[in-house]
Amino acid sequence: MFTHASRGLAAEEMSGQERPIRNDFNPDAEWFASPRPSFGRSALALRIGPLRFAFEGLSERQKERFAAQYGPFLDAGPGAPDLTIRMTRAGVETFLTLQEGGSELYRMPTRLDDGARRWWSYEFAGTLAADRRHAELALVEEEGPRFERGSENFLRALTAGFILERGGLLLHGAAVVRRGRAYVFFGPSGSGKTTVTRLSPDDLVLSDDLTLIVRDEGEFRAAGIPFGMAHHHIPDSNEAFPIAGLHRLAQSKDVRRERLTGAAAVADVVASLPFVLQDGEDPRPPMEIAARLCDSVPLWRLYFRKDDAFWSVIEER
Amino acid sequence: MDLSTILTKSPDAAFRTYDGQATIVLPSRAQVSVLNEVGSAVWERIDGRRTLQEILDGILEEFDITRDQALGDLETFVADLRAQGMVS
Repeated sequence: MFTHASRGLAAEEMSGQERPIRNDFNPDAEWFASPRPSFGRSALALRIGPLRFAFEGLSERQKERFAAQYGPFLDAGPGAPDLTIRMTRAGVETFLTLQEGGSELYRMPTRLDDGARRWWSYEFAGTLAADRRHAELALVEEEGPRFERGSENFLRALTAGFILERGGLLLHGAAVVRRGRAYVFFGPSGSGKTTVTRLSPDDLVLSDDLTLIVRDEGEFRAAGIPFGMAHHHIPDSNEAFPIAGLHRLAQSKDVRRERLTGAAAVADVVASLPFVLQDGEDPRPPMEIAARLCDSVPLWRLYFRKDDAFWSVIEER
Repeated sequence: MDLSTILTKSPDAAFRTYDGQATIVLPSRAQVSVLNEVGSAVWERIDGRRTLQEILDGILEEFDITRDQALGDLETFVADLRAQGMVS
């Protein structure tokens, strides 16, 4: 009678409990405090939803690469950025090591050192300073897949934290725009987010993995983020769209949806928030924002199979 | 079960009640839980002061269930909360 339903917290990126694995280098506070050279003198800024991130210490080649990759998100506007990120050479070959002979969930441990939030993984170690205006991203390689994966995972974690301060969320979900409104489909890896986007070929896909939920003049809107980790969709647009509905994906033989409200709805959203529900961080702000989101936008459990029949269920009036 | 036991919520557990049901987030365990109405009523009464006996009495007053059933369910529920690290 008193039993409760539990959900594991979101996302493979949340898996990073420190495990004693041979050859892992877990940088300590002293390592983080030591000075490192930057890659160069180039700079660039991105706008992700309402957030402005400025980058310093890029090589000219890195700057060109960022500009090509994040085109619609480049920011040349006036005003101070929310955060300035200094890009540096880590000076080590690797931090974490992949277990021999196998794949594993992406590990990204985190901790607080005197108010400074640290993250590290295979390819990078990053710090968000206690003043939350400055960050450093130390990368093991100057370019290539390890550079991109490391920098994008760090930027995803930063985005998740900073959007909370603006009353928004970074949701582990896909977003598809149809007739000017965003339909958000969320759930853990393997629930069907990418499948939904592939079954929507004529629609604007904002994301197939992480969707930015922003609060704009009292209304929740959905936007994409440019950090696609090489295998996720990068949106062509930096626009935010009003949200028509949130759909928690569940694969099924039949196609139907059930409205979720109250605690169950909030729990589904909270369980799909990567990066923010970690030791040392206050879980109440994301819970409050999730509750406001569920009050404002209808949330459904969508049972779907791998064809586009779900759209007829969603668009029923 | 010792009904004189006094339980305390884990300081790591953040919770909020929506429509009589509690959502509990436990970051250290990477877990989100939803309690049903009776479970939520128990959770709300766990305050570091009330004994399990007092919580049981409150539940029997509020809900239409037998003492035997409530006692059995409370025992299971408390064991579950302990195992999940939500109370101590």
